Amino acid sequence: MSGELTKAIAELEENEALRLTKEKLERGEDPRLILDESRSGMEIVGKRFSEGTYFLPELIFSAEIFREITEIVKPRLKKDASPKRLGKVIIGTVAGDIHDIGKDIVVFMLDVSGFEIFDLGVDVPPKKFVEKIRETNAPVVGLSGFLTLAFDSMKETVGAIKAAGLRDKVKIMIGGGQIDEEIRKYTGADDYGKDAMAAVSLAKTWLRG
Amino acid sequence: MTDYIIDFEPTGWKGKCRDSESILACARRSGLGVISVCGGQGACHTCRIQVLSGILSEPTPSEIEALSPQELAQGWRLACQATPASNCQLVLLPESMSTSQRVYLEGLEVIVPPEPPVKAYHLQLTAPCLSDQKADANRLLEVLNEQYLIPCRKIDTRVLRSLSPQIRGWNWECQASVRGDEVIALGPCPTRPLGLAVDLGTTTIAGYLLDLNSGQTLASQGVINPQISYGEDIITRINYVIKSPHEGIRLQKLVVDKLNELASDLCSKAGANADAIVEAVVVGNTVMHHLLLGLPVRQLALTPFTAAASLALDIKAYEVGINIAPGAYIHFPPIIGGFVGSDHVAMLLSIDSRQVDGPVIALDIGTNTEISLTNGEEITTTSCASGPAFEGGHIKHGMRAAKGAIERLQITKDAIHYQTIDEAPPVGICGSGALDALAQLYLAGVIDNGGRLSHNHPRVRMKGNQAEFLLVDPKEQDGRSAIVITQKDIRELQLANAAIRTGIHLLLETSGFTEEQLRQVVIAGAFGSYIDLSSAVAVGLLPPLPLNYFRQVGNAAGTGAKMALVSLGKREEARAIASQTRYIELACNPDFKQTFIETSHIGRYRIKHGKREVLD
Repeated sequence: MSGELTKAIAELEENEALRLTKEKLERGEDPRLILDESRSGMEIVGKRFSEGTYFLPELIFSAEIFREITEIVKPRLKKDASPKRLGKVIIGTVAGDIHDIGKDIVVFMLDVSGFEIFDLGVDVPPKKFVEKIRETNAPVVGLSGFLTLAFDSMKETVGAIKAAGLRDKVKIMIGGGQIDEEIRKYTGADDYGKDAMAAVSLAKTWLRG
Repeated sequence: MTDYIIDFEPTGWKGKCRDSESILACARRSGLGVISVCGGQGACHTCRIQVLSGILSEPTPSEIEALSPQELAQGWRLACQATPASNCQLVLLPESMSTSQRVYLEGLEVIVPPEPPVKAYHLQLTAPCLSDQKADANRLLEVLNEQYLIPCRKIDTRVLRSLSPQIRGWNWECQASVRGDEVIALGPCPTRPLGLAVDLGTTTIAGYLLDLNSGQTLASQGVINPQISYGEDIITRINYVIKSPHEGIRLQKLVVDKLNELASDLCSKAGANADAIVEAVVVGNTVMHHLLLGLPVRQLALTPFTAAASLALDIKAYEVGINIAPGAYIHFPPIIGGFVGSDHVAMLLSIDSRQVDGPVIALDIGTNTEISLTNGEEITTTSCASGPAFEGGHIKHGMRAAKGAIERLQITKDAIHYQTIDEAPPVGICGSGALDALAQLYLAGVIDNGGRLSHNHPRVRMKGNQAEFLLVDPKEQDGRSAIVITQKDIRELQLANAAIRTGIHLLLETSGFTEEQLRQVVIAGAFGSYIDLSSAVAVGLLPPLPLNYFRQVGNAAGTGAKMALVSLGKREEARAIASQTRYIELACNPDFKQTFIETSHIGRYRIKHGKREVLD
């Protein structure tokens, strides 16, 4: 029985997913479990997206289904039992770059995977990342950039975080264009990811450890 | 003496040929690169052609010797021997063509009344004697001033340095090339003043040699940009230059050497020397323009993507290292911005869309696609990162438009029909073939409008966790390797599609127009010339307009460069185009993401209020 909702979301069967959600609520199932099951469905969507089976419209559509489920479930969630979050992640496209389609997919996948996201947008100066780390105490920072010259901005941002004395408090991941180990070393980040799913698994590993 | 029109297939190039001129000579002038090992003696038989229609001269004895009676009956001839006796349509054999990779040279020939920047004057000077010791240069200027009423005051230093011995060698009779108030070259009489027009692309360079007085194209040739060994896209090349200034100089030298080679090849085709070229025009994207001029490029790769200089420039050829006439200039038409170069200005100049009453979209599809919307005098431009998919990049079996590339494709109920370049065995798929594949897969129901491959088709198979469609089955191809289109390839093509269609849509929207109001869609450039328009409309790359609304104009940037070369008036027009153009940054448009998502679907649709309205 469990897994039906996951499957419906993974297959993008909107009506079926909403019907199952309502049915579960009527049966008195824990709304948090319903959300967890929905998230597993979203993870499958993410995996299929990174394999090429699903594309941008499917990703957007799945987000729409997930939003509807959250709307249905929300009133049943007790105040103190607000959806449990895995942890905070700050993310932004670094200074000098304005590409955000890839970054938005990462934000989306982190969000549905249960992270609390602080999205700083595009062309974000190093100072802003530093301020946000101070403000939120987020332990994970994601730097995105598509342009090759964004690698310099990433390096500067990592440098600014270090100069602010915050380097030990955060794990930094980078992603975007053609990033590899060479570039990771150059920028001084902790790790890099090739796609949105990689960002999710990095964040999970770091927050678990 | 009569001129006939000769249509060369498969290039579609049409040229004038005198009844006394061989077909080979005519093809050579076109830059078609016909191989003739023996140099046109009728001895090597490499320049075989086939007549589709029209009448050629009677076969010569060499042809009768080279070709069997059946071959002659089938219309086979030797291009070096045959002359036309009517307008003809001929086929050039792939093996007779020397170009290995296809470089698209042909643009629509536009007749521009020449208004050349350089004029040649015939001068007869009196030799000095003890009673007339006037300096040689003064003597020359005096004749120009008095005889031709040219207020000429300057002589190029390099011309000055060789003037005295030369003019004595020519017995005081010479031809002076004058640009504005400056003598830029001297030559013996009579020399035809030549001009060089260049479209400097990231991948290919197209060069044209023109007679400056008549505006006639004497020769044209396409070559590969040698910088390609430093990366196929402009960003990779910028990175080289940023790494060290030496790399910048090396990249510059590669192109300069190639341009010198091109100039001298073109001149030898026309029986001239490169120093007969007294003016040149170079157009190109902003990065190519900056690299050739040795301008800094770092800022081009970062927001807000500003050019170092966008104004029109006139620079001495020798300062760039181009060896043409000693004092000749290279004119660089203005550029629009970091992502929109003078090639786009030249394209807009040549298509003259401002004469059309109503909105016109003009685009040149490449890794970076520049799109302009013109409405009378108003021009709005944008550029989109369409990626290399349409140039065969990021596609599993993708390749450039070269021998063996599948360039056309049709999927019927029981078979796949395709056409390869040079009719060679298939080795990969180029941009136009990939576009056809996307359209045909969609129309055959193998992919849905989301682009997902159906697993029910017999040619769809799984490779790991990736679905792929088998275009060329090794079993049907004597065990040659398979050619497939993968699910990921389809995604790349969808992204390219979406980027371009989003650009078209947002340009229209910001200017208050809808796609239905468009009067014309002009598609320039190599890829745009080879694509099947119905495929482009079927997948939603282009708006769903009747096919007669589309104009494929070939290398319009090259045509625009030629126009600017022979006409000062056209240079003014180019300046006006660049200064009137408003550039909009797509990423800043609040509707960008929504439109991008909508346009990543396949099919015929319109975007209304941010939503797709599917047609048929």
